[in-house]
Amino acid sequence: MNSETIFTTLTAIFHDVFDDESIVVTAQLTAADVGEWDSLSHIRLVLAVEKKFGLKFSAAEVGRLKNVGEFVTMIQSKAA
Amino acid sequence: MSMPEAKNILLSELAEGLQASVDFSVTAQEMLEFATLSGDFNPLHIDDAFARDRGFKGVVVYGALLVAKISQLIGMQLPGRNSVWASVSLDFRKPLYVGQPAQVVGVVNMVSDSTGMAELMITVRAANKVLAKGTAQVIVGR
Repeated sequence: MNSETIFTTLTAIFHDVFDDESIVVTAQLTAADVGEWDSLSHIRLVLAVEKKFGLKFSAAEVGRLKNVGEFVTMIQSKAA
Repeated sequence: MSMPEAKNILLSELAEGLQASVDFSVTAQEMLEFATLSGDFNPLHIDDAFARDRGFKGVVVYGALLVAKISQLIGMQLPGRNSVWASVSLDFRKPLYVGQPAQVVGVVNMVSDSTGMAELMITVRAANKVLAKGTAQVIVGR
């Protein structure tokens, strides 16, 4: 799965989870950049990604992520 | 007043297929109490003649009372005390009537370690028919 496809899918998920169509999902995006990104929305986001891509992550794997770019890399490696 | 004790099933103990159920029926008194609590005095729920005139067998139990039993299922049994409800989605398919025995069943269909979230498939049945069906997502203590 290429990163462009993943970013497109993530953008739709972000817009739905945060109810904000203006969010531009980039590799550099972090929780600090999205005002509504709290602990509950974080859970919803990760769960939505797991469901959409049919993947399972561990708490440690998700805890290590520093930005969306690393999330995309993890999705790519697990989906390979 | 002594209160029933909630179970405490941790995330690591939850597995797909694990299930629990609550048997219940709703009394006329509970219907009146819920009408007062919610402010919903729709005659479909409180006026037997009105409900029958519209093709039902009697007053229809509030859908929110079915949701209340799902709350009992999650908060007391599966997973119990160290959990918090994050979402519920429910389709109401058939009416439940006052005094009719019913059962709400929850079955774990997904456990996410990364988020600490579990998803339950919820089914409400009466007289071998499905009255309502949906899902509930619960954040579970580790």
